[in-house]
Amino acid sequence: MKKFGRSTGFAVSTLVAAMSFAGMAQAGITDKDILADQMTTDDVVSNGLGPRGQRYSPLDKLNTETVKELRPVWSFSFGGEKQRGQESQPMVKDGVMYVTGSYSRVFAIDAKTGDELWEYNARLPDGIMPCCDVINRGVALYGDLVIFGTLDAKLVALNKDTGKVVWKKKVADYKEGYSLTAAPLVVKGKIITGVSGGEFGVVGKVEAYDAVTGDIVWTRPTVEGHMGYIWKDGKKVENGISGGKAGETWPGDLWKTGGAATWLGGTYDPETDLMFFGTGNPAPWNSHLRPGDNLFSSSRLAIDPDTGKIVWHFQTTPHDGWDFDGVNELISFDYEEGGKTVKAAATADRNGFFYVLNRENGDFIRGFPFVDKITWAEGLDDKGRPIFKEGGRPGNPADAKEGKKGESVVSAPSFLGGKNWMPMAYSQDTELFYVPSNEWAMDIWNEPVSYKKGAAYLGAGFTIRPMNEDYIGVLRAIDPKTGKEAWRYENYAPLWGGVLTTKGNLVFTGNPEGYLMAFDAKTGEMLYKFNTGSGIVGSPITWEDDGEQFVSVVSGWGGAVPLWGGEVAKRVKHLNQGGSVWTFKLPK
Amino acid sequence: MLRNKLPKLLISLCISLLACEQAFARLYDDVMASGYIRMGVYKDFPPYSFVQEGKPAGVDVEIAQRVAEAFDLELQVHWITPDENLEDDLRNNVWKGHYLDKDQENPLAMKTLADVMLRVPYDKQYAYKQDSLGYLINEMVVMMAPYQQERWQVAYDSERLDAVRTVAVFQYEPIGVEVDSVPAFYFTSAMRGRMRDMTHHFPTPRDAFAAMQSGEVAAVMAMQSEIDWLLSEADDSQYRLAENGFPTMGKQTWDIGIAIRQTDRQLGYAVEAVLDKMIRSGEMAEIFARYGLRYTKPEFYQVAEEAAISE
Repeated sequence: MKKFGRSTGFAVSTLVAAMSFAGMAQAGITDKDILADQMTTDDVVSNGLGPRGQRYSPLDKLNTETVKELRPVWSFSFGGEKQRGQESQPMVKDGVMYVTGSYSRVFAIDAKTGDELWEYNARLPDGIMPCCDVINRGVALYGDLVIFGTLDAKLVALNKDTGKVVWKKKVADYKEGYSLTAAPLVVKGKIITGVSGGEFGVVGKVEAYDAVTGDIVWTRPTVEGHMGYIWKDGKKVENGISGGKAGETWPGDLWKTGGAATWLGGTYDPETDLMFFGTGNPAPWNSHLRPGDNLFSSSRLAIDPDTGKIVWHFQTTPHDGWDFDGVNELISFDYEEGGKTVKAAATADRNGFFYVLNRENGDFIRGFPFVDKITWAEGLDDKGRPIFKEGGRPGNPADAKEGKKGESVVSAPSFLGGKNWMPMAYSQDTELFYVPSNEWAMDIWNEPVSYKKGAAYLGAGFTIRPMNEDYIGVLRAIDPKTGKEAWRYENYAPLWGGVLTTKGNLVFTGNPEGYLMAFDAKTGEMLYKFNTGSGIVGSPITWEDDGEQFVSVVSGWGGAVPLWGGEVAKRVKHLNQGGSVWTFKLPK
Repeated sequence: MLRNKLPKLLISLCISLLACEQAFARLYDDVMASGYIRMGVYKDFPPYSFVQEGKPAGVDVEIAQRVAEAFDLELQVHWITPDENLEDDLRNNVWKGHYLDKDQENPLAMKTLADVMLRVPYDKQYAYKQDSLGYLINEMVVMMAPYQQERWQVAYDSERLDAVRTVAVFQYEPIGVEVDSVPAFYFTSAMRGRMRDMTHHFPTPRDAFAAMQSGEVAAVMAMQSEIDWLLSEADDSQYRLAENGFPTMGKQTWDIGIAIRQTDRQLGYAVEAVLDKMIRSGEMAEIFARYGLRYTKPEFYQVAEEAAISE
């Protein structure tokens, strides 16, 4: 399958034919189906509409001319009182939609009618304290299985027809502060997952499980110094220490509890046969305690799916002191330059810079700010490493004198990032990236009066504030070759939902105000909007059934934004929670 | 992942929304009429509150037992899984309840809250802390009735170190600390980080102490009661209390009291009266002594005693 990405029409049409046959036979989902997902318009079987995560669909029945006629056909409620933050991307296969709700729930829905086929509600342990809220970002499909991660850090595989558990595997111990929120990735018959984790001294990792049996295949820690393992004939075998050895870029034994959680999952490029996973901030959050680059925190890792070895890494924020998780998706794409095809990959980081990398070796091609203001760095050097700005680093809480609030540092972007988890999209037609971003800054100060579990504690105080009176969110069309912004749409509340682009010259996304919106991909003109009744923080999809093009998006305000107060909270506090899937099409 | 360490301003945001849930909270009369009192203590947190031989044990559990007995009520232990910080614990266990505490079968069921939470620092500056908009962060609870003073303490292995008079020795000898705690901050940042490479991190003080016993580290730093308890459990004169101070450290001692919902001060005053009696009669010190712990009265009592002596 490595060749597949390079070949053109022939392979695609063969696969499409194979797909429709598979559809008729109701056979399970194969690796081929997943690799061809971007081209096969009658289903959505991967997170990101194809393993590269471009979120581009070749469908064009909906286009700049017709989209204004888009109508809702059904809405499905997740029910109950569990409404807090719906960040899922639905999947569609053989007329059935598979979608997750918050609180570790999965629903199978008739994609034509909106009727529920089954529902799975994970039983969570009593007293569980998931680090990262109760959201879930979607399922993976493989064979007859619907696979997702739970708040208590388990992978659960359900039968796609009955919703009954086929296998269940513990990925990490929730008691140690681990959780799963990302949609798993399927590569070559393996389920690949990262982990979410708080500041309790967790260590990030990427793991591969046999998709059919749930047996572990390999595990790769994302902090320098930790041993990776691979299972051969059921035996656990040492598979090399991440980064070669401990203590190269960390002081003392802090690498043992170094953070770098892989909480957003990853993408896969079949052409280079590499998976790209991002890693979170290093622990502890106070950067003054851990001089050094702190590898592989706040980085993108290219991992070999067969062995779990790190092939290359690119660190966006070395020695992070701003909580700039490096988890944002790295999207593979090709472009022409000087008559040559450049095999590139792009990412819009929390830290405010947009990076274009050579996806074969991780070399930095170019980078530029994609937000209006960056206070912590002057720019990037020729290797893509940030040039830190004097005084841009938050102070050391240990310097706080008793009873006194430390000096406040203003930092932009805020810790929620120029762009957070919400995935951007890449159009093969306009060759632009559509980046859901936010313009906000934070004040950080040392908090001398703080307590944790009956003990004095040294905290940092934070508040996030908008940079502009009339908007925080900015949907940007960015040219990865020049760094130029082709157009922008400004949104009052912060944008927190994923983006979809189509051959119909359209860009879809949702906003916290509740609207599903469609824009002209070339000009940014808003052509359509519909209020779904609660904020949209999920990612839209599109597919085709019986010659009609459908669009679906999950609606349900929540996620991280409402958790943080200050001035930003004022803009979102009136927004209502919810939990539903909306599906749209053109009238016949 | 910074969501884990920020002051959760969610609190002020939710006040209006949750007024209805507040109404379910048990007031003084409800508690007395119900026949039981629900006392919140941290889970798996020796020597304060833990399970020993299948039964709740620890100084805070004993204190909770005395409070229940004083009112002739049955004690229900409310085990608290600690969240990122005290604000979270107060929200999850005292006034609002945790967002995962939902009963599918009975959606209108009230959340399980503690009537009284123990081991809550008593610090007016903290109690009146405001968020960036000027709202009180902890306005839904009252923190009162200090019953103990806590501080930091080092224990060391006397076969490796003659004594620990200053922390300077930890530039050369390894020390064990709990991850993400003041001891961890202190040893990785004080003296311009010169003790950083000698700092070993562990999930709990218990693990750090075990590492000292196995020779991995020469000393351990934790709260005084934790160190006293570990030394008394080990019962081995090889491991001793250090006499060092902690130069440049901000807060070196702090008082511990209770938290109750601000809507039910009456219950707070009643519990305060019980605790005050225990402190003055020496019963409190006895409970600590039974676990091998030194007991220090809260500042209020220290000041009162000093005043009495000087008169």
